[in-house]
Amino acid sequence: MTTEPSSTSFPPPEPLYITGWGVLSPLGDGADEFSDAVVEGRTALTDVSSMFEEELPGDQAYALAEFRVRDYLGRKGTSFFDRSTALALVASDRALKDTELVVTDDNRDQVGLVLGTTTGSIKSTSDYSRETLTQRRPYLVNPVLFPNTVMNCAAGQAAIWHKLKGVNATIAGGQLAGLSALRYACRTLRWEDAEALLVGAVEEFSPHTAWATHLATSPVPAGEGAAVFVLETAAAVADSGRRADAEVLAVELATADPERGTEAAAEVFAQCIRRALRVAGVSADELWAVAPGSTAAGRIETAALAAVLGPAEPVRLNVAELVGECHAASGALQIAAVLAHHRSNPTLDGCPALVTSATREGTVGAAVIRGWHRDRGDHGQ
Amino acid sequence: MTTAIQQHLDEIREIAAEVLEIEPEEITETSSFAEEHEADSLRAIEILARIEKKYNVEIPQAELPKMVNLRAVYDVVAQHAGWAA
Amino acid sequence: MRRRVVITGLGPVSSVGIGTEEFATALQQGESGISPISSFDATGFPHRMAGEVPAFDPKQMLEHLDPREWGRTSLFAAAAARLAVQDSGIDPAALSRARAGSSIGTTSGESQVIEELTAQWVAGSLKDLDPALIRATPASRLAVAVNRELGLTGEALTLSTACSASNYALGHAYATLATGEADYMIAGGADSVCRWAHAGFYRLGALTEFVCSPFDRDRSGILTGEGGAALFLEPLESAERRGARIYAEVLGYGLNCDASHMVAPDPVSIAECMRRAHRKAGIDAAQVDYICAHGTGTPANDAMETQAVLEVFGPKPPPISSIKSMLGHTMGAASGFGAIASALGIARQFIPPTINFRTPDPQMPGIDPVAGVARPARLRVVQNNGFAFGGNNAITILGEVA
Repeated sequence: MTTEPSSTSFPPPEPLYITGWGVLSPLGDGADEFSDAVVEGRTALTDVSSMFEEELPGDQAYALAEFRVRDYLGRKGTSFFDRSTALALVASDRALKDTELVVTDDNRDQVGLVLGTTTGSIKSTSDYSRETLTQRRPYLVNPVLFPNTVMNCAAGQAAIWHKLKGVNATIAGGQLAGLSALRYACRTLRWEDAEALLVGAVEEFSPHTAWATHLATSPVPAGEGAAVFVLETAAAVADSGRRADAEVLAVELATADPERGTEAAAEVFAQCIRRALRVAGVSADELWAVAPGSTAAGRIETAALAAVLGPAEPVRLNVAELVGECHAASGALQIAAVLAHHRSNPTLDGCPALVTSATREGTVGAAVIRGWHRDRGDHGQ
Repeated sequence: MTTAIQQHLDEIREIAAEVLEIEPEEITETSSFAEEHEADSLRAIEILARIEKKYNVEIPQAELPKMVNLRAVYDVVAQHAGWAA
Repeated sequence: MRRRVVITGLGPVSSVGIGTEEFATALQQGESGISPISSFDATGFPHRMAGEVPAFDPKQMLEHLDPREWGRTSLFAAAAARLAVQDSGIDPAALSRARAGSSIGTTSGESQVIEELTAQWVAGSLKDLDPALIRATPASRLAVAVNRELGLTGEALTLSTACSASNYALGHAYATLATGEADYMIAGGADSVCRWAHAGFYRLGALTEFVCSPFDRDRSGILTGEGGAALFLEPLESAERRGARIYAEVLGYGLNCDASHMVAPDPVSIAECMRRAHRKAGIDAAQVDYICAHGTGTPANDAMETQAVLEVFGPKPPPISSIKSMLGHTMGAASGFGAIASALGIARQFIPPTINFRTPDPQMPGIDPVAGVARPARLRVVQNNGFAFGGNNAITILGEVA
């Protein structure tokens, strides 16, 4: 057996395009605000000391300190949303406003959502579990909050809100969630399970994630946010005459067991990146930028990138420095950061960028994406 | 109507309003939770659960079908909490 | 070109048996896996039964992972995967060199780890949480545990689409093999019994006290369950080349979303999901010989599922049974166990039963729940239902290799 494809009779995969995107992050609400902030290199670090009753590991974090869902979506139907759900819902709303794709009764069966997460809303789950320990009787929990304890809550609620009846999937991927969701979405479109998918990832900031991040000795404090992309097939884009913000050239995933040593793991990661570049038909020296993942698997990722890039020196977009440790949202925010640079800069049109990501457990991934600029006032605005 | 009854009605109205995401004034004693305030079964159970917690009573879920409006909820709670009619 | 994909290994870690033979015997005899809850202190709960797997001993089953570093649900997933690989007869060393990965479904991930951390929080404060437990928390670890146990270097995808997640995972693995993106895949699901789900289902009025009796007139709810379910998948050509025993072929799957309510299922949308699954599998409803039901045993689910079945299949649908009557509701693993039961039914020519069935429900005419014990039958095509909170419907279609 070999590590190469056993059969060469498979046709090249159909091209897939991003036709709009939305972000909700402390850096901005919507693609335009977020893009401006990323290009300027602003950081999302802010005072979070009055956000929660519980003590936090520090006064500063990368959070939406003033966020209240009702300010974005109204009170009706939103008061029992947890933060993950609210962030995902707003980001998907912004993505739908940013694309020319219109969801109607004619196509809503064919439009779905693929959302990445770490463990859903860990605050919802843990608070629910806490109630069973602290109430007068263990079953005196709130029925209406029970759906918040399942990890697909955000995706299910977003489908209800936007009436998306197509494939609805939630991927638990930790730092790799964004790339895993993108790969699952690409596979789903090519398998003709849907015509268009909102694909992205979300992470909420809470005392739970703040402490978990701190106790895991992350070099940067916890952050939060959501980024959602509208992904469509080449045929759908061509038929409608819509213009694309980006093409997803490749997404490859692998498992690089860290117990086998940094060197071996880095080699598996490097092979994964090379495979992505090969599928994309791009060489390392053609890349204008690399957006490496978050902070969790730094050494392995650094070694893998060094091995693949060699003397090439693409721009480094260190997104975690701007948005903090956003766990599941990291990969989607890295992609958004790449698109942010494209959005206002025609000189980057068609140039490919590499996005890489890894978890502490050893799942790794690489995506190759090329984008185009938008003139302000272009479609969907 | 005695003040005790009025106070309980107001408290239950407050609970229902929060669960149904509307203003307390919108709920009359006889406005239908399901038809006029978009209550589904999950929200109906939530109202029951919150009342159980607040008044430290146990209300069997078999009573849920009766709890269609504010007055009906009050009557069920009054019976199980032993509030004087 | 799309490759045909078959199931050549099964790995059930369940309350009615661990491994293919124990599980198959239990299905045929209609055994119950329900017992008093031992994995958490159920004092204070009016209902105290569940489908736990007290016999699960990860140390005995795992060759590579250190059980102390992984949560119970990851260990269920990894142990089930190890069993499925053993059952397939493939050389594990060759497998780890191949293009192989896993997709694993779950509802609550490492729920017991989260509950232990929550208990630490209640006893002290968030800053006192045990970092080792924090590391064991991410739900993504389920599929990673499978890959690391087996030394697989392909993708490790954890699908957390609640109680239909295993069907999502099976569908993904099948399509990944069919398109040539991988050469072997492990698909399945895992979950652990936990306190918060027990409380939540009880509070919703959806938890029964002693027995789960799907499709019965007097059914009164679910019992929570746990376990790991794994299936080993490969292209038909590869299975034939190595002379592997083939349980069943994966013919296709259908996914859609109700987009109407988080917990109340929508029969119209579910009927559409069935049609979608049939279309994708290239079959007609009339070809389905058996439906492995979602069949949770709540009044609402079974009525709704029946309504959708009657809508799609007409007044005389094929036999439809629920193995949740034996296992309880194993959440993210449920449709994985359903797939294993379906594959066994196809390979060994029997229909798994619905146990605890006494009285037909006059509201559900035409339902044949295969009461009590398994029924001999040749099954050419089987439909395996999975529905979930969030309206995440997922149905897989398995068949005899024709």
